[in-house]
Amino acid sequence: MTRVMVVDDHPMWREGVARDLTEGGFEVVATAGDGGEAVRRAPAARPQVVVLDLQLPVLSGVEVTRRLLAADPAVRVLVLSASGEHADVLEAVKAGATGYLVKSASREELLDAVTRTAQGEAVFTPGLAGLVLGEFRRLSASPTVPAGPAAPRLTDRETEVLRLVAKGLSYKQIAERLVISHRTVQNHVQNTLTKLQLHNRVELVRYAIEQGLDDELS
Amino acid sequence: MGIETAVWRALAVFRTLGLVYALAVYLRRYDEYAHPIGGWVVLGLMAGWTAVTAIAYGRPHLRRWPLLAADLAVAMSTVVATRFIDDFDRIEAGAQTLPVVWAATPVLAFAVRGGWPGGVGAACGVGVADLVHRGALTVPTANNIVLLLLAGAVVGYMMSLARRGELALARALAVRAAGRERERLSRDIHDSVLQVLALVGRRGQEAGGEAAEIGRLAADQERALRALVSAAPETVDGELDLRALLSAYATSSVTVSTPATPVVLAAARAREIAAAVGAALANVAAHAGEAARAWVLLEDAGSEVVVSVRDDGNGFDRARLEEARAEGRLGVAASIEGRVRDLGGTAVLDSRPGAGTEVELRVPR
Repeated sequence: MTRVMVVDDHPMWREGVARDLTEGGFEVVATAGDGGEAVRRAPAARPQVVVLDLQLPVLSGVEVTRRLLAADPAVRVLVLSASGEHADVLEAVKAGATGYLVKSASREELLDAVTRTAQGEAVFTPGLAGLVLGEFRRLSASPTVPAGPAAPRLTDRETEVLRLVAKGLSYKQIAERLVISHRTVQNHVQNTLTKLQLHNRVELVRYAIEQGLDDELS
Repeated sequence: MGIETAVWRALAVFRTLGLVYALAVYLRRYDEYAHPIGGWVVLGLMAGWTAVTAIAYGRPHLRRWPLLAADLAVAMSTVVATRFIDDFDRIEAGAQTLPVVWAATPVLAFAVRGGWPGGVGAACGVGVADLVHRGALTVPTANNIVLLLLAGAVVGYMMSLARRGELALARALAVRAAGRERERLSRDIHDSVLQVLALVGRRGQEAGGEAAEIGRLAADQERALRALVSAAPETVDGELDLRALLSAYATSSVTVSTPATPVVLAAARAREIAAAVGAALANVAAHAGEAARAWVLLEDAGSEVVVSVRDDGNGFDRARLEEARAEGRLGVAASIEGRVRDLGGTAVLDSRPGAGTEVELRVPR
């Protein structure tokens, strides 16, 4: 049974999601009402998937994502957040979250998203696809720093797939339209996330070296 | 203290210093004047006028054209009066006027009030008085007039720049204050109302029946309220973030996807694009069928913005589209194309029966 932790500062919402997950056959091993609590409880509860709200007291959702993954790289973070928190969602994904779902999503969509996240699949909403597309455009348009890493680029196929996701097509519809397999569509989507996360990690290390923090980190 | 008050005060100081200088010059040449008593009268008038203007220009409701015109007339008459008070040979030899630089004050006042045209106009007036005083156009007079013109134009221009700067600063501060207030509101609303609305929306839709309708209403209200508290106000230079305009279209059946960073366009352009998208969505609601959903994708390609509107409705085949176009029955589609063409962009329509319709708008910045 998949072990899940639910993090949300709103008690009513937190209980509701936990109940849906339990009824849907998941094991809710912990819940947390703020970011600090989430980071403290995770090591003992050992969740496979963390369903995470981004607007949290004490520690932000982005910071929670970063710390959870630093402590256990195998944990999967699914952001379940209100729509309209664009910058936060993108930061969380760059920090390693592999999925995003809006709170207005139905129960079935939530259960499906947790299942797919547990299997290691990237869960993209059209909204997330739009954010990731925008981020790659921004990276390729911004002047590259000399001696810095080259901005990551999407292949034409990856861009095409992401745009179709953003326009609301399901993986199945995309596979049909582009005449490729469902698995290939998944891989393309996954690749875009990996590139973004990798670039983010390289940037962080470069920043640490520039600031002279590398000695303290090692 | 605003820029306006500060400048008028500086002008009063300039006028007083000008008066002291005129007095010093007069005392040094006192013996050479043909009519020293007349000189004292003119200096007395100048002192009185300096006091009057120091008070009058300090009151915003008096800083109007009648006072400025009187100011110019007084300065011009003191210049012209010199011709009748001073020794004729001295004037021929190029002696200074009695008020010296004091007479330049109304030029600065006109420049402050009316920008460079005001300054140049008043400089012409004092220049004419200079010519009357001298009786001929000599090199020193020409120099004086050029200096007056330059002072009027430069001070006037600087003043309009400074006013614009002050206005921009005031607007920026207002925008920032409004932004802070919006942030605070948004936080409060997010922590309470929106969470409850989202929950009602979800539970209601699960319960089905009449509750589903209530749930759908709650979900729509949640989106509308969220768009309201997160919509960006117009920025200082009359530009808008297109994301804020498009996000307002999100409902339970319309998904709007945008980049995380602002997509800033001239306000009028952004509104036109949003109106075209609104027309496309209205078209979906009218023709794509009851259960059709729509997706709006906004992309910033640097030199242009790309907005796609796709629905999963009935769609139609291309032959029918051409037929409708030929008969001029395109209605909404034509209005979308028209709007986008007016912005120098293109609109591409794609549809297949049973596979929905997609419109892609490309508009240059």
